[in-house]
Amino acid sequence: MRRYFRELSVAGALAVVLLALAVFAPAFYQPQPLLSLLTREAPTLVVACGMALVIISRQIDISVGSQFAVCSVCAGLLAAKGMALPLVFACCVAIGGLMGALNGVLVAGLRLPSIVVTLATMVTWREALRWLRQGQFVNLPDGTQWFGLSQRGGQWMLIIAALVILVSLAIATRHLSAGRFIYAVGTDAEAARLAGIRPQLTTFAVFVFMGALVGLAAMMNVVQSPQVDPKSGSGLELKVIAASVVGGVAISGGRGNLWGVFVGVLLLASISPALTHLRVEAYWEKAIQGAIILLAVVADGLRNRKQR
Amino acid sequence: MNTERHGFKAILLRHETILLFVVLLEWLYFNSVGPRFGSVDNTFDVMRHSVEIGLLALAMTPIILTGGIDLSVGSLLGLCAILFGKFWRDMGMPIPLAMVCTIGVGALAGGLNASLITWLRLPPLIVTLGTFSLFRGLAEAITRGVDTFTNFPASFIFLGQERWLGIPAQAPIFILVAVGIWLLVHHMTFGRSFRAIGFAPEGTRYAGISVERRLAMVYVLAGIIAAIAAIIYTARLGQAKADAGMGYELYAITAVVLGGTSIFGGIGSVHGTLLGVAAIAILNNGLVHARQPREVAGMLTGLLLILALTSSILPKMLATWRARRQTSIAKTPITT
Repeated sequence: MRRYFRELSVAGALAVVLLALAVFAPAFYQPQPLLSLLTREAPTLVVACGMALVIISRQIDISVGSQFAVCSVCAGLLAAKGMALPLVFACCVAIGGLMGALNGVLVAGLRLPSIVVTLATMVTWREALRWLRQGQFVNLPDGTQWFGLSQRGGQWMLIIAALVILVSLAIATRHLSAGRFIYAVGTDAEAARLAGIRPQLTTFAVFVFMGALVGLAAMMNVVQSPQVDPKSGSGLELKVIAASVVGGVAISGGRGNLWGVFVGVLLLASISPALTHLRVEAYWEKAIQGAIILLAVVADGLRNRKQR
Repeated sequence: MNTERHGFKAILLRHETILLFVVLLEWLYFNSVGPRFGSVDNTFDVMRHSVEIGLLALAMTPIILTGGIDLSVGSLLGLCAILFGKFWRDMGMPIPLAMVCTIGVGALAGGLNASLITWLRLPPLIVTLGTFSLFRGLAEAITRGVDTFTNFPASFIFLGQERWLGIPAQAPIFILVAVGIWLLVHHMTFGRSFRAIGFAPEGTRYAGISVERRLAMVYVLAGIIAAIAAIIYTARLGQAKADAGMGYELYAITAVVLGGTSIFGGIGSVHGTLLGVAAIAILNNGLVHARQPREVAGMLTGLLLILALTSSILPKMLATWRARRQTSIAKTPITT
């Protein structure tokens, strides 16, 4: 109970928001809009899981938004060329993994600070994409949207896929040695090295995994609409970092779990519909998002102060 | 100890000389490619367009020297630009009073960052990520996403678009801020402590320096400078919108790191930052004159950043690699 105080308090906040919606705006709980909302957030959840791992290993990756856009456009182009959908899927994940590997080589291999490296790759990927595509949308062939299923079937499939990834990663980080390595490296890389873990290799793997998850999430986003928007994924990096932090992942590394991240994603995702249903102007969304991040870290800070 | 410091100094010198060389090379290349690039008009154009990012980079330098970071400066620029318009148009303040109030708001916003970072000892990255969202969100909420402030009086637009004593009117402000920050960081004991904090905050505390107060000052200063940049931005464009300065924080950080300041703090210089700003500004403007798409400038900035980082970290890497090889050799007889 004490151990998960942080995660539980965020869950409590989410419960309050959901309760307020149930009382003041029951329209929020109509099944179809709710399903659409959850489907839209499914890719975010997948990227947030990866980001949580990156932050737990005491790194950060702000290039995920650009990676997401590159993966989306590549997937769209490959699908438009008539490649079979499973193959497009594999290519998309591989492209994401490669971009993650580049970050990984620079951070783990050359030991450059991850915030600057991913800042550079973020700018480079985004500008390269804009240069090569000039902001064109990619039209997807028939049968790509929702994997050729019905809309409802596709939506359920995406939500279940995101949840499966969440649950398997949550279990893996808790019970697999590879998952514990991430915590060890994030807590103290030198101590981890002395304990026989290879911190640089772990960091590299985390970045590659992050990239692969971004590729996966991009694919999950591409199949939701008949066109690929080359600007999709802009601002995603801040959204998922915010979700991780709100969900109790410490930016100083080594602390946090994926259940908290799940609650964080849900809490941030519920702001926008909550504002609409409670008839507050939607322009307040970003300000409220910022206030929630600050509130979460201030609560952490006050708790730490008391313990000191 | 002495030789180490000397060698360290030599590396520092090298980074900035190399950067100066890169800037000159850029200038010569674009001058030969674009016929109008080297003209006085264009030079002033480059200056005009780089003043705001230059100011933010100057504000960011002391912050990064202390080992911190401020992601919120671009958003704060947007918020200040909006509030400046609000003060002038909707509250009927005269322009000078509106300027003072805007700078006050900047100081307050910087104070918010500062108090969260120093009192609660929260990591700057995450605090300013929160205020990054908060400030931009407030700007959007105040303007409801659509309201734009225009029709500023000509006497105010002068600041952003005309010349004063033959140079762009905003240049003297920039030079003043640049000289002020340079003196602060390089020639005052007060400012030199920023680097001490970046090296070892705990050690600096034991040396009798109140780390919290100085950190707070650095963030408040950044808020004030962001507000000044907002005023100049508004004058240059003749309008204030909620998306003013979006993404500027990244350009500012890029300029600072390109200028040789270590992102971990403790190492760096203000003149390096100025060279970094110049390198980015010339690249952006020059590529337009060389009839290259604007996106190439962005890509090259990213690559330049990685190159600068790699070159600055190589000597250190070689040293640690050598040291580790030696220790592993020394350990061999014990373990076998």
